[in-house]
Amino acid sequence: MLKYIVVACLGALAAILSNTGIAVFNDGFRPIYPEYFEGKIDRKTLAATSFAISFGLVVGYGIPVSLAASIILIHSILLGTDIIGPFCPNNKRGMVIAGVIGALYGVGIVSGLQAVVNLFKMLPINFLTNLGLVGTPITIAFALFPAVAVALEYGLKKGILTAVATVLVRQIVSRYGTFPLGNSKVTLNQEGMALLTGMIFLIVYAVRDKKDASNANEQLVAVFGEKVKRIRKNVPLLAIMGGLIACATSMSVVAGDPISLNLLAKGEYTNAAMTAFARALGFIPLVATTAITTGVYAPAGMTFVFVVGLLLHGNPVLAFLLGAVVISLEVLLLAAIAKFLDKFPGVRKCGDNIRTAMTQVLNIALLIGGMMAAQAIAPGFGLFIVIGLFLLNKFSKKPIVEMAVGPVGAISVGILVNILYALGLYVVAK
Amino acid sequence: MKKIVVGGQMEKKHIASLIGKIAGDKASIKTMSDIEAAMAIKSGAADYYFGACNTGGGGALAMAIAILGLSQCCTVSMPGKIKSEEEIQAEIKSGKKAFGFTSQDIDTVVPIILKYIL
Repeated sequence: MLKYIVVACLGALAAILSNTGIAVFNDGFRPIYPEYFEGKIDRKTLAATSFAISFGLVVGYGIPVSLAASIILIHSILLGTDIIGPFCPNNKRGMVIAGVIGALYGVGIVSGLQAVVNLFKMLPINFLTNLGLVGTPITIAFALFPAVAVALEYGLKKGILTAVATVLVRQIVSRYGTFPLGNSKVTLNQEGMALLTGMIFLIVYAVRDKKDASNANEQLVAVFGEKVKRIRKNVPLLAIMGGLIACATSMSVVAGDPISLNLLAKGEYTNAAMTAFARALGFIPLVATTAITTGVYAPAGMTFVFVVGLLLHGNPVLAFLLGAVVISLEVLLLAAIAKFLDKFPGVRKCGDNIRTAMTQVLNIALLIGGMMAAQAIAPGFGLFIVIGLFLLNKFSKKPIVEMAVGPVGAISVGILVNILYALGLYVVAK
Repeated sequence: MKKIVVGGQMEKKHIASLIGKIAGDKASIKTMSDIEAAMAIKSGAADYYFGACNTGGGGALAMAIAILGLSQCCTVSMPGKIKSEEEIQAEIKSGKKAFGFTSQDIDTVVPIILKYIL
């Protein structure tokens, strides 16, 4: 019950924030707001744009990833509220309507996911257990992304060096990582330590890279000072928003990205938090620059609120409070963070590269995971469908997001075998 | 010779090398941060801006839209939707200078855009 209340509040407030132009989740939607504030486009265009850039992501990315692990990817909720807000009128009444629809939408997504999961359970061939395999490669391969990010910026040699160190640490920890401590035993997590190793390499390379130093961000802050003030004015609302997201994350209701979502589903809270932290580092430059130039913030901020939620798993109240503090600090330090990034151009580039690397790791890991799940659900037939979907998707004018091909493929295989079973075209091999 | 800048935010090296391969000596290519690339268009130092991200409009175009305005920017592809060749041609004719797309669609859309701007 508590989880529905939290999600209702989350949806309501997020819809109000997008209705009033205080914060939106889609990074591409933020720059559209100034055009609206300045009267260059009308409310209808604003709403239509939001729908155009967000709806496909909700259906083609947020929901399939959420379904495969039964935890909601935050995109499913916040991209929806991005759309709800601007469709409601720009006045007090519109704000209330947005809040109500947002709350219903949030509850709808959570109960909808639950309903679909329950429905799947009732099918003659139950594929839910096997569907969980979609996330298996991610929980191993996520430690690789720092090596990929290093290779992207500093070349193959340094990338390989990072990858070798990562895998060495992984093997050493898995062999010798258990220590007796008093009467109990402490086991270091091999993937977690491997990720940490990779991150250290990446950060050291990035901090040492002083090439292309500029004062671009400092200029931005100077030019767009008014907009920074606008965001600061909204700190109280943003604090509640960040708190709610951290709170929902701590209850395992939502997660901020597919990697930490799958780790969370497997109960690997520390690894999930570390990945979310690395991803948040990658998002600092993007969120900071779009916020400074537009005066519109993000409901999840620089996504550190997810780290708070994951670290404080099972402590919703504490997560709420700390989440609120963290997002407030982000906003108050916004200008300072932007200027700091000028001094470390490598860190800024590192942000872009972390995001590219994570996408590449996810693309392959989710595809293979989808194949593993599909093969487990229906040997032979499963692989046929997922590989076919992957190849034919490339020719589509409306392709599914590459990352979602694996999850969508595995879910389709599960549904298809049930249909074939009903038609008498499939027998369960035992 | 056209001056092309690759700005935000993902797969920049891939985009730059693809443009180089297709355009040959018909274009000069520079990879920059998204802010610098957008400023380069604004100041006239460059003619066209290319950028990719997961949504085709977020990291790819955010700074370009903020600095150049929406009227000069075009999201060529977004998750689940790629503009047709005719639509892309029309966007370029109408004076769009900054193009954003998803990293998944780079190999599809970059050759089409180049076909009409070179």
